[in-house]
Amino acid sequence: MTITEHAYLLAAIPAGMFLLLALLGRYLPRGGDYLGVLATGTSFGLMIAVVANYVQNRGGLGGAFQHGLEAQEFPAWTNSIEWSTVGDFVLRMGIYVDPITVLMLGVITTVALMVNIFSIGYMKGEPRYYWFFAVLQLFVASMLMLVLADNLLLLLISWELVGVCSFLLIGFYWEKRSATEAAKKAFITTRVGDVGLFIGVVLLGKAAGTFNIQDVIHAAQEGHIGSTYLFVSMMFLFLGAMGKSAQVPFHVWLPDAMEGPTPVSALIHAATMVVAGVYLTARMLPAFEVAGDMMLIITLVGLVTALLTGFIALAQTDIKKVLAYSTVGQLGFMFVALGSGAPEAAMFHLMTHAFFKALLFLGSGSVIHATHHHQEMDELGGLWKKMPITATTFLIGSLALAGVFPLAGFWSKDEILHSTLDWGGGWAFILLAFAAVLTAFYTTRLFVRTFLGKPKDQHIYEHTHESSFVMTGPLLFLCLLAIVSGFVVFQDVGKAIGFPGGITEFIFVEHPHVFHIDWALAGTSIAIGVIGIFSAGWMYWGGSTVRSTKLAEWQPGLYDMITNKFYFDEMYQYGIDRGLLGFSFIVSWFDRYVVNDTGVDGSAQITKYSGSVLKYAQTGKVPNYAMGVAIGVITLAVVGLAVRG
Amino acid sequence: MATEVLWWIFAVAIVGVSAGVVFSRSVIHSAIFLILSMVGVGAMYLLLMVEFLAIVQLLIYGGAVTVLILLALMLTRMGAGGAAQKVDGPQMPFALLAGGGILAILVGVAVSTSWPGDVDDQPTGISIELISEKLFQDFGAPFVIASALLLVALVGAIILARQEDAD
Amino acid sequence: MVPLENYLVLSAILFSLGVYGVLARRNAVLVLMSVELMLNAVSMNFIAFSAYLDPSRITGVIFAVFIITVAAAEVGLALAIVIRLFRNRATVNVDEAAILKW
Repeated sequence: MTITEHAYLLAAIPAGMFLLLALLGRYLPRGGDYLGVLATGTSFGLMIAVVANYVQNRGGLGGAFQHGLEAQEFPAWTNSIEWSTVGDFVLRMGIYVDPITVLMLGVITTVALMVNIFSIGYMKGEPRYYWFFAVLQLFVASMLMLVLADNLLLLLISWELVGVCSFLLIGFYWEKRSATEAAKKAFITTRVGDVGLFIGVVLLGKAAGTFNIQDVIHAAQEGHIGSTYLFVSMMFLFLGAMGKSAQVPFHVWLPDAMEGPTPVSALIHAATMVVAGVYLTARMLPAFEVAGDMMLIITLVGLVTALLTGFIALAQTDIKKVLAYSTVGQLGFMFVALGSGAPEAAMFHLMTHAFFKALLFLGSGSVIHATHHHQEMDELGGLWKKMPITATTFLIGSLALAGVFPLAGFWSKDEILHSTLDWGGGWAFILLAFAAVLTAFYTTRLFVRTFLGKPKDQHIYEHTHESSFVMTGPLLFLCLLAIVSGFVVFQDVGKAIGFPGGITEFIFVEHPHVFHIDWALAGTSIAIGVIGIFSAGWMYWGGSTVRSTKLAEWQPGLYDMITNKFYFDEMYQYGIDRGLLGFSFIVSWFDRYVVNDTGVDGSAQITKYSGSVLKYAQTGKVPNYAMGVAIGVITLAVVGLAVRG
Repeated sequence: MATEVLWWIFAVAIVGVSAGVVFSRSVIHSAIFLILSMVGVGAMYLLLMVEFLAIVQLLIYGGAVTVLILLALMLTRMGAGGAAQKVDGPQMPFALLAGGGILAILVGVAVSTSWPGDVDDQPTGISIELISEKLFQDFGAPFVIASALLLVALVGAIILARQEDAD
Repeated sequence: MVPLENYLVLSAILFSLGVYGVLARRNAVLVLMSVELMLNAVSMNFIAFSAYLDPSRITGVIFAVFIITVAAAEVGLALAIVIRLFRNRATVNVDEAAILKW
């Protein structure tokens, strides 16, 4: 019995705290926010214990996160109980801890703890303060359960639970119409994908005869599932991943989700929930690999997303919207890595991205809080002097996002670019490199226009002040992680922490590989960052938009496309207006005239009319009725005799 | 041989008086024919060697029921020219058809069916002891219920027929 | 030697006469009398079956006993209704008691 086998406690504690806060939170002093921090803090502590225990007990063996290949080195811990039995079918519920899970646990609990602490400052004085912390605990619990789940059904349940939490938190300010609309949009859009996930889970469970993830993967690898069937079910599964991770064409909900409180954006819509799709794909990657062209599809989806959102982010003026599109784009990067068969690169980027993107979101939250809810770049500027800690940490986060050596983003992005080359997709490498340039560009633009130059609105500027330590503390901690978390790629660093080596020796398919710096690639990466940063710096230096306006006037069509986000929302609106409402109109016509008037009213009318005609058969005279009885008896007798022969 | 002759005499008599019940133009005649018919059926029970039921038939039908019917006829006597009234309703011809149809079916079935268990082609006498045994042992509960039914019918008939104060 | 069929045919004739009477007669008392004819026919049928086919269990005889019982009750009630009808509407013609309709 080790702590790893009881890793479900990580989820159980916040879940219990959710119940406590939801029921009693309003009566507690300060809404029980300290209890929320306590719960996530306990999870964080347990996570460290689990990781330590996990590392200790694997005897320094290299691990493969799938069945079969090196069974004696199989590093997963499982613990499950019987859930229900239907006939011969036994459904078990339990946890499964392998390197991916360990990494996810680390990311989730760390960011969740930081966000909880940050929220104490950010949400101060908001209505329903206790409710915010309660739902936050529920989210942490569901998200942890999602990554711990050892079977697809439990995963699906957690998947829906995080969706609900996302819905509740996006719509936290439900007095605002835009917030409720955004919450609905997020929920419905992801739901489209979730239906796919559900179908995929059912299909896979039916074919494999079990819902246990490892057994399903095993069945797929052994070829127990027909190739077309497998492809279709994996495609459905991937639809769920796309919806949750906001990949094109499901990306429209994530920018709108920024209506939620900023800590929520940091936790749910940057670091954890939206990476559930990446997690699911990585978890099922061995099955994806044998499912026809799924890997290519994953790569393409990731590439298109990365490029498209990179362009859209160029023209956004809302700080959080830029970050939201950036998140979608980075998730695209991760999917490209997965499609290239490099889960280690994807998970690595997932981790570093979680840290620096949470940092950026919390930084923007600090700005928004300080400026009393002004988040348009056009109204800000020059904030460096007013809030140095926020600005510095934000700068480091931006540089990490842009992929500047030697920050975390550099290493993970490098790994992804490397994986595309290994996979043999030169075109993918070039496109992805271009997306990376765009990333560097809009990140620089964001920073320059927010923190440098002259303040555009003097009034806002004067009322701005640096945030309290409860907010800057998490910023500093995440900033530290954004700097150092990339170094786990090195073998020596990994060994020093206790792992068998760098992250690529910890998470891998088939064979671990030791990380070596490829100087040509690293040079390219650095060049990418430099190009992006300097071109943006040149264009927006001093917060000026003169040059960018000229650029927009030079290519008005393209600019129009970008500012309107490639008209995705309009397309969907058109599709809903014409397609869905048109179909609904036909259905409602059918319901009103065929079902109601003909079917329901019609049968009543027939009865009424026939009654009005046939009532004259009722003479009221007993002999007539008796005659009816006699005729009936004779008829029955004749029929009976005739039938009997 | 004597049984057969007796049977045929009674059978013809029963059919004749029963026809009288339904075809007679006078209600009083009909009632008298009915008494005769009941008695004839009772005699048939004797021929079937079920003496108990024969006596019951005579007592209840021949006695009580017909007296009741005669009483009702007297009480509902209409006007002075009662005899002039039509006794048959407008659907009399159809009634003939219906009666004929049912007769045809019943006779056809009765004749064409071979009845199982009919070994010696003769009725077996059923003693009163056997009847009482069955009635009071096996069919005790229905017997009690039947007595309750009679009581209810008695009370109901009184309530229906009594002169109400309001009238 | 009287075969069973003789009794059956006799009771069939009685029953059919009863049916005719019920359908054709106007006077409610006559209708009732016809009903009694039909009941008699049925009773005779039962007893004949019992005596010929089932002399040990005598279910038919028991049935006839109950038919007589129920018939007595029925006649009593029906005649009470007829008297009631006559008192209210001054007629015993079943054709004229025709308000139970639309």
